[in-house]
Amino acid sequence: MIKFKKKNTLYKLYTWLPILTLFISVFNEFDFNYLNIDYFSFNFPFILIFYFALKEYQRFDYLLVFLAGLFNDTVVGLPLGISSLSYILICIFATYLRNITISPNLIKDWFYFLFIISLINSINFSILFLFFSYELDITLFIINNFFTFLFYIIFSIFFKRYLKSIDD
Amino acid sequence: MAESRDDFIIAIRSAFLKKSTKQKFSLLTLVFFSIFIIVLSSLNFKAISVTKTVIKEIVYRSSFIISLPENFIKSSYLNLIEYTNFYEEYKITKEELDQLKSENISTRIIKSENNELKSLIDGYTVTSNKILAKVIVDHESPFLRSIIINKGSKEKLKIGTNIYDRSYLVGRVIEVNYTNSRVLLLTDLNSNIPVSITPGNVQAIVVGNGDKKGEIKYIKNDLVNKIDDNGIAYTSGTGSIFKSGIPVGTVDLKDENKKILINFYSDFTQLKYVFAEIDELTPTFNEIEENDQTKVSANTEQIKLNLINDELQILEDSNTKFQEENQELNTLSNELNKQIEILKAENAFQKNVIQQYNLDKKELEFLRLNLIYSSKCQSKKLFSDGFKVGTPEYKECIMQKGKKSD
Repeated sequence: MIKFKKKNTLYKLYTWLPILTLFISVFNEFDFNYLNIDYFSFNFPFILIFYFALKEYQRFDYLLVFLAGLFNDTVVGLPLGISSLSYILICIFATYLRNITISPNLIKDWFYFLFIISLINSINFSILFLFFSYELDITLFIINNFFTFLFYIIFSIFFKRYLKSIDD
Repeated sequence: MAESRDDFIIAIRSAFLKKSTKQKFSLLTLVFFSIFIIVLSSLNFKAISVTKTVIKEIVYRSSFIISLPENFIKSSYLNLIEYTNFYEEYKITKEELDQLKSENISTRIIKSENNELKSLIDGYTVTSNKILAKVIVDHESPFLRSIIINKGSKEKLKIGTNIYDRSYLVGRVIEVNYTNSRVLLLTDLNSNIPVSITPGNVQAIVVGNGDKKGEIKYIKNDLVNKIDDNGIAYTSGTGSIFKSGIPVGTVDLKDENKKILINFYSDFTQLKYVFAEIDELTPTFNEIEENDQTKVSANTEQIKLNLINDELQILEDSNTKFQEENQELNTLSNELNKQIEILKAENAFQKNVIQQYNLDKKELEFLRLNLIYSSKCQSKKLFSDGFKVGTPEYKECIMQKGKKSD
């Protein structure tokens, strides 16, 4: 295991890793689309934001999450503010879950995450379809939702290890 | 009951309003901020447009830089696949190139004639100037199919500018910033292209299916049977969104759901460089004539001169092509003649060898028979009936195995 000396620059950078990853992923559209697997896509920022908002990670600044949403809209070509709203809503729901939970359970979090992303994707779809007259394929939304849900459990293992390494 | 409701309200209030020590804004403030920005982005104020343009300029450039490592991996992976099929593709491409070269000349002649006729009908000719643009961001969202190119209003691009991959249509510009633009690809669900399908000259609208193909929609039912598999779809120019006559793709009737699909000529996942077509209207002979009689003569002469120059150019090209072909044929003929000469020489040499072999064989036979029959054919005594050694008669006698001819 890598050990950092606290107050070291590398350690500081390491503690900012979730936010850095979030920004890289929104700039980079991290979803393995170039593999050209039909209909395969997932929303990595949703997983990352939900996990770190749920675990009350001190470095996870909501303002930066909001900015990441704006950047995501610009890169993807959606109307400005849509992704920011989605990300902030995820933060709200995650915070709510944290407040009402006494003993955290990964499986419960996982299914709560499914409910949240389904709700947020529905809101996104409605806004884009009703207010901005976008032609969208609902199947793609459902598949994206499903894969995001599946990948949560995998990424949560890595994130847990990361948090543990920070605590150590 | 009341207690659990209180807990719920406390949790909700805490989630929305409570600000931890490290947070600068509460989540409720940020939600309002987001909604405010969404409302603003749907309005067309100049200040908002400028702000959006500035953000986009920064974000696109940053995205390009951040995507470099991923793009490197992606291109390496694709290059590896490409190299495995390299030789086969090379052979096919070479054949296609030869065919296209021969077709190119006739196409240029047709283009020139077409321009002449258009200028007579419209009064204006559209001179197009294609500029090369680099694709700086091509990350496909599962919901929107678009790319960002590094040319914008600075290079006179505007909303609706047609974008090409070689001579194939790939999309049109939907958002223009100062140094970059967003291009909506033909595969996007929001993309509608009026096309003509040949053979049959069927008019239809192709809509992107959000994946890799297009789907033909809005076509009269009785015209569906007129469409052939592998028929060619090209833009009809209806609605003036796209120029007419641009190749789009081929018809695919093999779909399981009996949809009429279009396989686009261009692979939109592999776009690195594209061409943006900037149109400029140039007044033609007829228009000039109406406006300014004094300028007409000079311009007419110029136009005629240009046309003649064009024709001359085409003729020169044809001539060069024929000369090249002629030269190639001459070279081939010379080589064949040389080969014939070599073969002739070889033939003569072989004949000589065969002749020599036959002579040697005869001589050998004579020597063999001579050993046996020399006593019968030689004249040893004064009154014997033999022949003198070395004479043709002696040789004949030996060859006839001692029998003497009369």
